[in-house]
Amino acid sequence: MTTKMMGAKVQRVEDDRLVRGTGRYVDDVAPDALHAAVLRSPHAHARIVSIDVDAVLDVEGVHAVWTHEDLEGAMAEPLPLLIPHPTLTHGRTQYALAKDEVNHVGEAIAFVVADDRYVAEDALARIVVEYELLPAVVGIEAARTATHLVHDDVPGNVAARMEQSNGDAAAAIAAAPHTLSLDLKIERSACMPMEGRGTVARWDPDQNRLQVWTSTQTSTGVRAAVAAKLGLDLGQVDVITPDVGGGFGVKIVHPWPEELLVPLAAQRLGRAVKFTEDRREHFISSAHERAQMHHVEVGFDDEGRVLGLDVRFWHDHGAYTPYGLIVPIITSTQLLGPYKPGAYHVQFDSLYTNTVIVTPYRGAGRPQGCFVMERTMDAIAAELGKDRADVRAVNFIQPDEFPYDQGLIFQDGRELKYDSGDYPAMLAKIKELVDWDHFEDFRAAKAAEGKRVGLGLACYVEGTGVGPYEGAHVHIETSGKVKVATGLTSQGQGHQTAFAQIVADELGVRFEDVEITTGDTRRMPYAVGTFASRAAVMSGSAIHLAAKRTKEKALRIAADALEADVDDLEIVDGVVSVKGTDSSIPLGTVAVLSNPLRYAFDEASKAATQFNVGDPTKPPVAEDDEPGLEGKDFYSPPRSTFASGMHAVIVETDVETAEIRILKYAVVHDCGHLINPMIVEGQIHGGVAQGVGGALYERMAYDESGQLLNASFMDFLMPYVTEVPASIEIDHLETPSPLNPLGIKGAGEAGVIPGSAAFAAAIEDAERLPITAMPISPSELFALRATHAPHAQESK
Amino acid sequence: MKISGQNAIAAPVDKVWEAILDPRVLVATIPGCEQLEATGENAYAMTVSAGVAAIKGTYSGSCLLQDLRHGEGLTMKLKGAGAPGTIDATVLVSFKDDGAQTVLSYDADAVVGGMIGGVGQRMLTSVSRRMAAEFFGNVEKVIAGGLPAAVAAAEPAVSAEGAPVYAAAPKAAAPSAAGGESFLLGVAVGGGLVLAGVIVGGLLGRRR
Repeated sequence: MTTKMMGAKVQRVEDDRLVRGTGRYVDDVAPDALHAAVLRSPHAHARIVSIDVDAVLDVEGVHAVWTHEDLEGAMAEPLPLLIPHPTLTHGRTQYALAKDEVNHVGEAIAFVVADDRYVAEDALARIVVEYELLPAVVGIEAARTATHLVHDDVPGNVAARMEQSNGDAAAAIAAAPHTLSLDLKIERSACMPMEGRGTVARWDPDQNRLQVWTSTQTSTGVRAAVAAKLGLDLGQVDVITPDVGGGFGVKIVHPWPEELLVPLAAQRLGRAVKFTEDRREHFISSAHERAQMHHVEVGFDDEGRVLGLDVRFWHDHGAYTPYGLIVPIITSTQLLGPYKPGAYHVQFDSLYTNTVIVTPYRGAGRPQGCFVMERTMDAIAAELGKDRADVRAVNFIQPDEFPYDQGLIFQDGRELKYDSGDYPAMLAKIKELVDWDHFEDFRAAKAAEGKRVGLGLACYVEGTGVGPYEGAHVHIETSGKVKVATGLTSQGQGHQTAFAQIVADELGVRFEDVEITTGDTRRMPYAVGTFASRAAVMSGSAIHLAAKRTKEKALRIAADALEADVDDLEIVDGVVSVKGTDSSIPLGTVAVLSNPLRYAFDEASKAATQFNVGDPTKPPVAEDDEPGLEGKDFYSPPRSTFASGMHAVIVETDVETAEIRILKYAVVHDCGHLINPMIVEGQIHGGVAQGVGGALYERMAYDESGQLLNASFMDFLMPYVTEVPASIEIDHLETPSPLNPLGIKGAGEAGVIPGSAAFAAAIEDAERLPITAMPISPSELFALRATHAPHAQESK
Repeated sequence: MKISGQNAIAAPVDKVWEAILDPRVLVATIPGCEQLEATGENAYAMTVSAGVAAIKGTYSGSCLLQDLRHGEGLTMKLKGAGAPGTIDATVLVSFKDDGAQTVLSYDADAVVGGMIGGVGQRMLTSVSRRMAAEFFGNVEKVIAGGLPAAVAAAEPAVSAEGAPVYAAAPKAAAPSAAGGESFLLGVAVGGGLVLAGVIVGGLLGRRR
């Protein structure tokens, strides 16, 4: 065996291409395609009285202009509600093009296809829409008050009310020696991938086939939706996802109106058609997340042990519910983190507002849940005058308690049962990394310099690798090269590298001989998608299993050829040999032998023709076998695997300006066995950057009429490298998952989850005033100081 | 969004009230106003070309004057739409007699939609104030020096529906005296139009 690849810091092979600008994205495909543009509602809530497209019809260069009236059959029906749930009693989805009513600024109303985007946009400007304005419902308070309704037939703006409990929380709180109640709030934000949405489609009239290129997190999902909406057989539709410039959750939604309209236009016009979203469109017509308000009641003992926890929260899901209740369900379950409250009850309302839809954004409801739980832990510590880490420690699930059943149902409909973890060990690591025990010395030293610093800690548990399944196909070519396909898509996670490491290890081939294809339905038509930190767990496991099958076949054929026992064979650098001898055969030759030929085409294939191989008394391909050196397998776990982590941050809050500076950021992370620590750390870095954004900068500034006031990068603040800590100290813990063959857990979202919780704690610690709403800007902190005069006086 | 401000015109309130209600004055004084058409009692359709720096374009809109209290104030209902955005606004305009001058205060509650709502809204308040000041300054000049000759002399054209249509004078035309009842209406509309024109116009222009 060569060096084991699993666990090695292998440099990402895709970066050479991506960093040099030779990545191939949807917009790079079909440069001669016609371009589509979409007329979007300028109003948050309005009835469409009339749409006049006459002025567009004879514009030179315009090939099509459609409104809802031009759509037929399934295309004229509302878009699918992707994830139904029994408690989602009032789910609503939009039409591909608005019918009668618009419910948020940016909702698609008309669709134009023209020679280029300039002509298409000029054409849009000529469409005259008459609106009757309706009152807009903006923000959770307005939705909850329900003076006005988003949808006339949804009373109280409530799409769903869901409740779960484990034990009698109310009774436990009533009987507890100490109780607290808290109100906690998180604002809206959005993922903001560098590449927005984009779709290209070609209709091939000779084959009656549709080819769709789209920037998605699920090519099989798009394929199924396009086929259903256009009335095509699944077999007529190929969906290919090339390089994707970031997903972060927003691209798991499908089909977007454009993902249906573009293929339909390609089919009707017989030309390739392209839609490339611009930045403003991304702000107002893709998806947001995060906005929630929470009320917590907690009862605890003298040690800070939580005896009963009751959480009521309100989730703003925007104008429609295509992605069901996934985000609030995750908040309601993952809020528990590494803790085991004596009893827990949670209830949430998922509310309509006249704003952009909500779908999972990296972390997906967990940043809110973590914020709520960790603020509660800090409040308990403050109430009892105890160390914040100690209060957490008494609430931890202990290492010998796994698997630990939280007694709830998770977002995948399966038990919320933690598979493994070691939270006390993790706490010890994070305390050491941030020098927790000596922080008061540091604070005193800084105070002597006239500076104000604070330390925050936040712990989380993240269900990763949700089902139902992923698959993989491994094919060893006669050249010895290994072609691997898995159906889920890549948005920069380093799948080419990580998956090739798994294959190289299992097959005994050289890492550089492995080529990974993702997100192409022609190569792997059965897949689910890339979300919920599931790619490594799901496809990684499937690839491992498929490679194992391929290896078994290779060894069986090689054993025959080498006249040896399978158990005596090993594969190193793509060559099968009998251990301890010089008897060997390259895998490429094994591939030749695996496919009995009648016709030779080169020197190698001569060896496989029927006069040269096989037992003449038996069929060339055995009854239970098939030609080719290939293996295919699927991985489908019983439930999610639960990764965990703890972040600690030290901030300095400027005494004069309330500017918040990050002095130190530390992460301890447990995602089971690491395939590639360099990639995992890269994921953590990216996650922490987004966590900093969510805690200190990013918000969606809607005015009361539903206009998004900061729909550009001039006004929407994202952290640059200058706002992200220059160094993030990372330590790993590896408690393997028992649920998959590689013992791995997901790592993609982890870095972002505890951001708001940790920063809120650190700022509170610095300022000695309660931080109950995030994100927080220097201006808001300044204002908070004014309303909490005691500290201001104390510091003087 | 809410925009409020005030400007002083160096003329007695009656004069200003008169001036501000004359469509011919409006056409001449509203920055970027190209055409004004009476569509009913105290109701106008208008075309305003306006913009901020490179973002320019033409808006179609309407203006309805309500609650006219002679020399005291009025309410304007404005609607405008152009490629980059829409506006719906209610503007309360009050006139205050301040001896030799008249102080006009405006208080606009505007719903700005489309691209201008999301991209330019933070700039609109200051741009609106600047354009309002320009408008009121123009009105002051007209009161003092009269309308441009071409405007004053021209009879209004008549639209297909028979409504009078007022076109703007060529730039740099010489001022001449003018006045009259309808003149007044004009300038009031102007205040609103400016706001509309500005707000809407500010974002006008082609996307990209």
